[in-house]
Amino acid sequence: MMGKIRADLHMHTCLSPCGDDQMRATAIVEQAARAGLDMIGICDHNSAENAGAVMSAGSRAGLAVIPGMEVTSREEVHILGLFRNTEGVIDLQTVVYENLPGENDQEAFGSQLVIDDRDCVVATSDKLLIGATNLAVEQVVGAIHQFGGLAIASHVDRERFGIIGQLGFIPEGLGLDAVEVADASLSQWDYAYPVVASSDAHYLKDVGRNSTCFSVEDASFDEIVKALNSEGGRRIITKEMEDLSLHILDVAENSIMASASKIEIRITEDKANDLLTIEISDDGKGMDEETLKKALDPFFTTRKTRRVGLGLSMLAQASREGGGQMDVSSRPNEGTAVRATFRLSHPDCKPMGDIAETVRTLVIAHPEIDFVFEHKSNGSIFRFDSREIKKR
Amino acid sequence: MKITELVQQLNLSVRSTAGDLDREVTGGYASDLLSDVLANGEPGNLWVTLQIHQNIVAVASMKDLAGIILVNGREPEQDTIEKAEAENIAIMVTELSTFELVGRLYGLGITGTK
Repeated sequence: MMGKIRADLHMHTCLSPCGDDQMRATAIVEQAARAGLDMIGICDHNSAENAGAVMSAGSRAGLAVIPGMEVTSREEVHILGLFRNTEGVIDLQTVVYENLPGENDQEAFGSQLVIDDRDCVVATSDKLLIGATNLAVEQVVGAIHQFGGLAIASHVDRERFGIIGQLGFIPEGLGLDAVEVADASLSQWDYAYPVVASSDAHYLKDVGRNSTCFSVEDASFDEIVKALNSEGGRRIITKEMEDLSLHILDVAENSIMASASKIEIRITEDKANDLLTIEISDDGKGMDEETLKKALDPFFTTRKTRRVGLGLSMLAQASREGGGQMDVSSRPNEGTAVRATFRLSHPDCKPMGDIAETVRTLVIAHPEIDFVFEHKSNGSIFRFDSREIKKR
Repeated sequence: MKITELVQQLNLSVRSTAGDLDREVTGGYASDLLSDVLANGEPGNLWVTLQIHQNIVAVASMKDLAGIILVNGREPEQDTIEKAEAENIAIMVTELSTFELVGRLYGLGITGTK
């Protein structure tokens, strides 16, 4: 079931000499939860010795932690490598260590603390992690791919250590999986690669300051890979795509979870009265009063395994911001009806987006469910009933 | 002053001869940030850098630079030499550091253009 997750895939720990000493496993995980993140990536400079500790702390708290590393190429270009598990990143670390000269000067560059998953210091690294490897940027990307990782050029919008600043432009055919921007407002620029935004946090207060939303099945490395390749409906949710059709998709997914056999989606645009109405109703198992109350709380979910798809609360928020309101009526074993209104002229009324694609996604993914879709726009009506298609 | 004269006077090793070594040098620019060279390099400039990545050839070609001198004895990557041959960009190598090389170039009359 597709849902929205928020990920900050690039932050440092106390292992990076420039990383604050407070950047420890449980502290990072707690801060990430406060920042509303579903997934984080741990990318210290030229080392992954703390990735496992943060992963353990994350799994205790139900936060997805992706092990990674920020490798410095010999051109002083920073490249992130993100991996499915610690094995891949440790293989990369072996190659990086073989090509990383020098020894750290704690006084000059800062301490490099190796911690366990309870934040205790277990060792210090004496490698010159702030330094550059002897590996060309092509070799860094090659090594990351060899060990099954994703290669993402760090903060391409920053002059120092960004690939465009260091090398003028991204070498043709480098085969990156994405580029990262530090300033999320630049994420709409055309870099010829998928664009993600992350915080590059060195201090706890910066965790989640920038992040990327993905439409995926769950908060896992494999799903992020698919989203970067726009595979199977997974995708990066850009600000432009945070549109109403995605909210509708989320709420319809709730109906599917509630074992609905019929889902009706009605959109009414009434320009004369400056009113947009979205109605989604189902014949699913419904909710009792208490569950219904909780459903409007953004931290509620009936799903035990993952916390994706905030559905109702997100639509309620979009509606409030757009000058309208949302009502939900639900009866156990009868179904649920959601009605959200918006003021069409309101500056914060989100665009509808690709509603046809949303309906298509639902109908194709759930042939067992009957869908009725109705779009009324100032006198004209478009009506679609999946039962009529099935008859043919 | 022509590149050939500089090669002789400073004992530079030429790694790509495809460029026009008789070209008159208009001035010099030293930087290891390629984006900075794209922004501030001038046509006919001799560029002093320690970057050896093939992108240096593209930058030199785009800015119509007279040639590139690599410092600290750093050797260009094979791709870089091939690109330089294809793009007609002269690449020289010196054992000197950037500071020392730029000082000597200045002494020979090669100045910055800004």
